[in-house]
Amino acid sequence: MIKINKGFAFLISIAFSIAIGSCVQDDDFSVPEGLGIEENKGLETLLSSDAVEISMVDLKAKYTSNNNGPVFIDTDIYIKGYVSSSDKNGNFFKELFLQNAAENPSAGIKIILNQVETHNQYNFGREVFIKLKGLYLGEERVGNGVVTIGGSTKTNQFGTTVERLTKNQRAQNMFRSANTLNLVPLKLNLSQINSTHIGIYTELSGVEFVNNLEGKRYFDPAQDFDTLRLMQSCTGSIGYSNFNLETSSFADFKDHLLPTGNGTVKGVLTRTFDGSKLVIGLNAISDISMTDSRCSPVSINDFSIVLNEDFESMPTNKVISRNGWTSYAEEGTLNWKIAITTDTGNPGPGNKIAVMKAYNSGTPVNIAWLITPPINLDTLDKAYANFISSNSAEDGSELALMISSNWNGNVNQVTSATWTVLPGTIVSDDVFYQDWVDSGLIDLSSYSGTIYIAFKYIGGDNSGNTNPINGTIDGTFEIDNFKILDRN
Amino acid sequence: MTKSFTILLFGIFTVIIASAQQTVVKGSVIDGATMVPIPNVTVTIEETLQTVQTDAEGKFSFTSNVPLGEQILKIEKSGYITKRFPIIVNEGQTLDISDMMLDINVADSVDLYTITLSDDELNDDTSGGADNISGLLQSSQDIFQRTAAFEFSSSFFSVRGLSSENGTVLINGIEMNKFYSGRPQWSNWGGMNDVVRNQELASNLTPSQYTFGGALGSSDINTRASTYKKGGRMTYSSSDRSYTNRVIGSYATGLMKGGWAISAAAGKRWGEEGFQDATFYDSNSFFASVEKKMNDRHSVNLTTIYSPNRRGKSSPNTQEVYDLKGITYNEYWGYQNGEKRNSRVKDVNEPIFILNHDWDLNKKTTLNTNIAYQFGKTGNSRLDYPGGTNPSGAYYQRLPSYALADKNGPDYATAYQLEQEFLKDGQIDWNRIYDANITNNNAGETAAYVLYEDRNDDSQITANTILNYSMTDNITFNGSVNYTYLTSKNFAEIIDLLGSNGALNVDAFDAVQYDLKNPNRIVGEGDKFRYHYNLYARLLSAFAQAQFNYKKVDFFAALSIANTTYQREGLYQHEAYTDNSYGKGDQLSFTGLGVKGGITYKITGKHVLDFNAAYLTKAPSLRNTYSNSRENHNTVKNITEEKIISADASYIFRSSIVKAKLTGYYTKIKDANEISFYYADGLSSFEISENQTSAFVQEILQGVDKTHFGSELGLEAQLTPTIKLKGAASVGQFFYGNNPDVYLTSSSFTNPNGIDYGQANLKNYKLATGPQTAYSIGFEYRDPEFWWFGATANFFDHTYIDVSPLIRTRNFYLDADGLPFNDYDPEVARKLLKQEKFDNYMVVNLVGGKSWKIDTYFVGFFASVSNILDVIHKTGGFEQGRNANYRALKEDASHNIPVFGAKYWYGRGTTYFLNVYVRF
Repeated sequence: MIKINKGFAFLISIAFSIAIGSCVQDDDFSVPEGLGIEENKGLETLLSSDAVEISMVDLKAKYTSNNNGPVFIDTDIYIKGYVSSSDKNGNFFKELFLQNAAENPSAGIKIILNQVETHNQYNFGREVFIKLKGLYLGEERVGNGVVTIGGSTKTNQFGTTVERLTKNQRAQNMFRSANTLNLVPLKLNLSQINSTHIGIYTELSGVEFVNNLEGKRYFDPAQDFDTLRLMQSCTGSIGYSNFNLETSSFADFKDHLLPTGNGTVKGVLTRTFDGSKLVIGLNAISDISMTDSRCSPVSINDFSIVLNEDFESMPTNKVISRNGWTSYAEEGTLNWKIAITTDTGNPGPGNKIAVMKAYNSGTPVNIAWLITPPINLDTLDKAYANFISSNSAEDGSELALMISSNWNGNVNQVTSATWTVLPGTIVSDDVFYQDWVDSGLIDLSSYSGTIYIAFKYIGGDNSGNTNPINGTIDGTFEIDNFKILDRN
Repeated sequence: MTKSFTILLFGIFTVIIASAQQTVVKGSVIDGATMVPIPNVTVTIEETLQTVQTDAEGKFSFTSNVPLGEQILKIEKSGYITKRFPIIVNEGQTLDISDMMLDINVADSVDLYTITLSDDELNDDTSGGADNISGLLQSSQDIFQRTAAFEFSSSFFSVRGLSSENGTVLINGIEMNKFYSGRPQWSNWGGMNDVVRNQELASNLTPSQYTFGGALGSSDINTRASTYKKGGRMTYSSSDRSYTNRVIGSYATGLMKGGWAISAAAGKRWGEEGFQDATFYDSNSFFASVEKKMNDRHSVNLTTIYSPNRRGKSSPNTQEVYDLKGITYNEYWGYQNGEKRNSRVKDVNEPIFILNHDWDLNKKTTLNTNIAYQFGKTGNSRLDYPGGTNPSGAYYQRLPSYALADKNGPDYATAYQLEQEFLKDGQIDWNRIYDANITNNNAGETAAYVLYEDRNDDSQITANTILNYSMTDNITFNGSVNYTYLTSKNFAEIIDLLGSNGALNVDAFDAVQYDLKNPNRIVGEGDKFRYHYNLYARLLSAFAQAQFNYKKVDFFAALSIANTTYQREGLYQHEAYTDNSYGKGDQLSFTGLGVKGGITYKITGKHVLDFNAAYLTKAPSLRNTYSNSRENHNTVKNITEEKIISADASYIFRSSIVKAKLTGYYTKIKDANEISFYYADGLSSFEISENQTSAFVQEILQGVDKTHFGSELGLEAQLTPTIKLKGAASVGQFFYGNNPDVYLTSSSFTNPNGIDYGQANLKNYKLATGPQTAYSIGFEYRDPEFWWFGATANFFDHTYIDVSPLIRTRNFYLDADGLPFNDYDPEVARKLLKQEKFDNYMVVNLVGGKSWKIDTYFVGFFASVSNILDVIHKTGGFEQGRNANYRALKEDASHNIPVFGAKYWYGRGTTYFLNVYVRF
């Protein structure tokens, strides 16, 4: 029995040595300490350095055209923005959009980066700083009109584009702050959308998918990458105004049926891959809510037409002065004239239109007014203005829509009258030159008495002159089918 | 000590001649150190190959057909030095040789190799695609099989090209092979080398008295407490292979007064890192066996074996990865809080309880009745990334080859960046994973990453009874009936949310609900998700065998019959298979029949011929029955029993110096199935949703025929009492014997029955069963002063890659419209589809040790160095299924470094193993 006792004593000693033996750490890991410390350090370093914050608008202005290629940023500047897109549902791929404010944003910008599932890092609403030095500003596809921050460039026969930030560039140039803000979508009518809204989280209300899409899905399996689904709205226009929803073949809601009701869409405004159209893209299927009954558009028959000027009765290539219209060249000598359009879009080739351009004017600033005949609103129930506009050589000239109730009709006193801006959609630079843009129904109900509506062109040809604005801004604006309507 | 050793060698013992009519040789065997009788010693008359085992008192007797004249009696038991005693047998007399002494094998070489292999690669599906059969063979005394077990197995050599499901492992008569894979789970009794050493091997087609066995035979581990030599032992080992430290203690009482015997062992193996990076090892082992001998006829034994085992796995890698990071690289880990954290952990925790009743009905008949219960869990962890990127540092998009294969031409700048990033880091970024989950928490989203475990919780009850009836001295009958019932619970369970608040139980890949009855459920740690089903398996089997042993000839015949039923019960309703996933599926029933026989013809004591043949049919394993058990009830189409035909012929030569055995064999397997899972690109079919060409698929290869033939040679020569030369050779050809059918299923397919790709042109492609040619030559020197050393050189050749069947179907050359690719060039295709053969290599191993006897204690150590020349070698690999067609494969192969190149396993470089023990 002695041996046995020895044996068991031995076993006990073994058990003991096992109990105190080295313990292998292989599970029970806690959340890592110091998560994000490095990124915070990067941000602190950036903010405490001499780097200067630049607005998105100013940054985007650095890239003027593809003719010059992407712009390499070699100065210590940075931008701050809030993530407006989310790739959680696969509708965005290796790209992010930032907007410049959580509420009432006025600009957005795109960043392309070599990372998928960015939403679990740059989540929706997250405040992000981008140190721009060493990055490029340009487009992802030549001429697509979406100014994009990239990490490098690539040149092929079409020109030079920006490429995605590498993992290293992302770590060294993109910093999150701890803030995630609640983004309030910017509410716009379809007719109000223009290219300045690219990258902004937007809400479109009163919209529905067009009639022939009933039973269709977000993505059309016959297409390779993206599907456009046309939406329509009855708000703010005669007939329907239209806008496209774009959905990627990788969106996980691509096979959902399109809703058939009317309601709101929230998403990020951007452009199609080729840049030809402005579109809205969804972050999530829950951002679409179309459960109201479909809308009925107002028709032209619902109105009596008080004024309808198609310029067909006016002489070609002459300054406009007939039918009560006034043309006034405030700066320079060029003025609004009648031309025959070659545009294939509405109103169609061969029709007469009103045109102003500063091309070859030889003067640095051209300002020209085109003013309607007087309109007595007191005789009307509920008056609206409506017109269509188009452009040519889209390079930076401006057209403002204005209203005055105290101008006396005297051409010499145009500038001394009070003119206020009238909200109405005017063609933007990036619209294809053959296309015409509807102004929407411009509500005049807040005005009374006799009013005048004016198109104020601001441009100039200052080639060889650096004052007042860099570069030549001589783009053409074209107007047609100006109507004053009274709702019956 | 030296003196007694010498005396024993020359075999001085008491001979009592008693008068009797019968010619009888009987005697007893005792331990040379303790003088305690040794049971279960195999005693053989070499001339006739008659064998008997010693009983609990160490006694044995031969009573029939005893050859006359000068004979050699061989006594052997694992752990002891085998002895051969010259005897003279006279007709009509009884030769009684009492107290023959067996000495413990001081060199302890058995233990050495058992430790280094069976602990390690053996139990493991992680370090090689091939499994390992050395656990089956380690108790063998045959030189070829010992070489295969101890020298070849680290190269994933498989005997006759057959994997371990062709061998049956029993513990006390209870079969331990799993229903799921058909293979034994070696780690269930790992780390207890001291107590699983009593093994009885019936190799290949030779008869076993317990079971019919497979084409590789069977091995019975005997853990009855009375079979252990009285004494204790403590061992400490150090290694750089899988674990770094090991401690084992064991003690056995032997048969005590009152008929009790107790044996117990405890062990621990641990290490932060093995040869591959971050492969930690953490295992405890407990063993207890208690036997009560009620009387001369009844004995009851209870054995408990519990060996929980956790270890970090290592990855197979592409050549590109090895070239950049070396052969210890492992993609499964990353640093967390300064510690290496491995995402893939294998956790096996399955205690075994076995109750045996041994009943000697009479002198000629024994009945052995056994009940066993085993339960527990097997878990394999991995990272899921429903809202994140593939976290692996070696993900193909993070490797330079990806940028070099850019469709617009090689992107050298990006490739350089990727290469630098991979060289600098190349591991899982746990911080990013936590950050992503915390970011998602703040955004109200579910987990981007979770760590989960694929669980397989089995509980199995087995009952059997084994009859052994020695009808006459020449004729023995064996028989058994067996019942086994398995309940296997299978599910995935979240083990770490990694900072997240919860995960969504939806397939992020295609937004399909895993559990339609609880859609969009948020799951947390400890919750089941992804899949949940039970498998039920029942086996009823019977076995009968007759063995005839005569002077010149032995022969036997055996029969077996088995009925196996399988049933699946889905606990989740999968959205893609709403009417085929929930509740109980159809019950499947298979009938297995086996017949085998053999004859041994003893020309003289020196020259023996042996022939065996078998035909058997058996149920496919669970794994190869359900094509996608996680998601639905589907089984392999036209499923049927697997058929195996096998035959071998051996010539055995034995002189006093040389022992040699030459064997030729032929095995044909028919109607086998192989199921594999992977992500396939370049599929051509209109039946994939949205006309895509890639999907996560189950590939079912059905009706596979395999041919295995070749020869084996084992040779040993005891040149002097101290020097032994050893040699072994295996030259075989193992290849696909037909063109089996392939079909794919996937939840991404519009057709729930899958897509049929017709035949895979696999005929004559080699099987990836390790080296098909292996040679070993070596020597042992055993000094009478109890030190010893040995060396072997092992040469391996004809190791082939595991070919992908899908790229050898018509899918390979057909475009999506079902017509051949315009640019299809059969000559190029032939090159692309050529099976890769790995380079041959030689591994040199050294081993040596010394032992001392101090008072009643034995103290010893030994050390081994494997692959001392540090030869870098591939042991296996497989083609990735991602380039499923001609264009994709040609495109990828045209790059200097393919993006989806084959993945390989490399053998270890130079490693050591050191063992110190004390025994009393």
